[in-house]
Amino acid sequence: MASKARASAPPGAPTGNLIRDSALGLVPETLTEIVALNGAVWERSLVPPALLEAIRLRNARTVNCVYCKSVRYEAARADGLTEERAAMIDADYARSALGEREKLAIALADAYLGFPAGMDAALAARLRRAFSAAQLASMFVALMAFNFTSRTAVSIGGMPEEPLPITVLPMSATHG
Amino acid sequence: MSAALERSPTSLTLDRHLAIAGSAAACFARLWQRLWLQPYLSAELLEMCRLSLARLHRDALESAAHNPHLPAAALSPERRASVLAGDSQRSPLFSPKEKAVLHFCECYALDAQSIADEVADEAKAHLGEAGLVFLIEALGCLDGRIRTARCLRDLAQAEGAAGGE
Repeated sequence: MASKARASAPPGAPTGNLIRDSALGLVPETLTEIVALNGAVWERSLVPPALLEAIRLRNARTVNCVYCKSVRYEAARADGLTEERAAMIDADYARSALGEREKLAIALADAYLGFPAGMDAALAARLRRAFSAAQLASMFVALMAFNFTSRTAVSIGGMPEEPLPITVLPMSATHG
Repeated sequence: MSAALERSPTSLTLDRHLAIAGSAAACFARLWQRLWLQPYLSAELLEMCRLSLARLHRDALESAAHNPHLPAAALSPERRASVLAGDSQRSPLFSPKEKAVLHFCECYALDAQSIADEVADEAKAHLGEAGLVFLIEALGCLDGRIRTARCLRDLAQAEGAAGGE
């Protein structure tokens, strides 16, 4: 991983928004839409925040984004994804005490994160039974946003040595 | 384009398949449109990145798809074939800038953590700092859409199989 950042945040006073104050602020042509996307993913999701957080953490740990791995969202905590449950999102998640829908959401993330991406017929059938088409679409939009953000952070580089302390963020930290 | 190709999602047609997700999907669709209207990378070079990612994902449908954001005949058949064959780095058909961007694209696709500083520096020398950030954003968007389209095709196939039972 690049220890030296390949791009820096634009000069000027910080706005308090993590995305606007990062190197993504160098690209005004996309910045507004990226901030709006991060807000919409959490505020107007068709699945509960705990499921979104399970997907986000699975992505963060797969991509190995040090920042993303250290973050927890308040809304997901309030929805029941405690630190103990977050720790279950590991290689053994299928045998953990996580609920069936959480496990399926993680399997969905793994299908997306595979190279090449894709899923077998059995998983596809289970997902179809557990979630509506709109909920599946909502989770894919969230996955794309999470994966986009974490891979962007990793590619730009300049990550600190891990592990970072866990930081609980309000949803407003990345949008608005 | 065949009827099957038109019905099956690719990165280029994904938004209409995700629209049922509501406003978050609409945000992602707007970001997608923005990618093709910026000063850092030509639509032709962005399309070559999409084709490189399609090749690496071994996604035949994605590779065959026509990109409506690209002006007609903007990408010659020879250059398109070379990108899809994975030999652009050795081909005289590509400029140093195009080779630098496509090399970065391949490294990003294989493992974003392992992009070598020389590869990033070469792309940055051609694009500038903001251009490099845009390239990284665009690759994340393109790659994510290819991944999602593929998963949606698998889900549709499972639904079709269930309907036929």
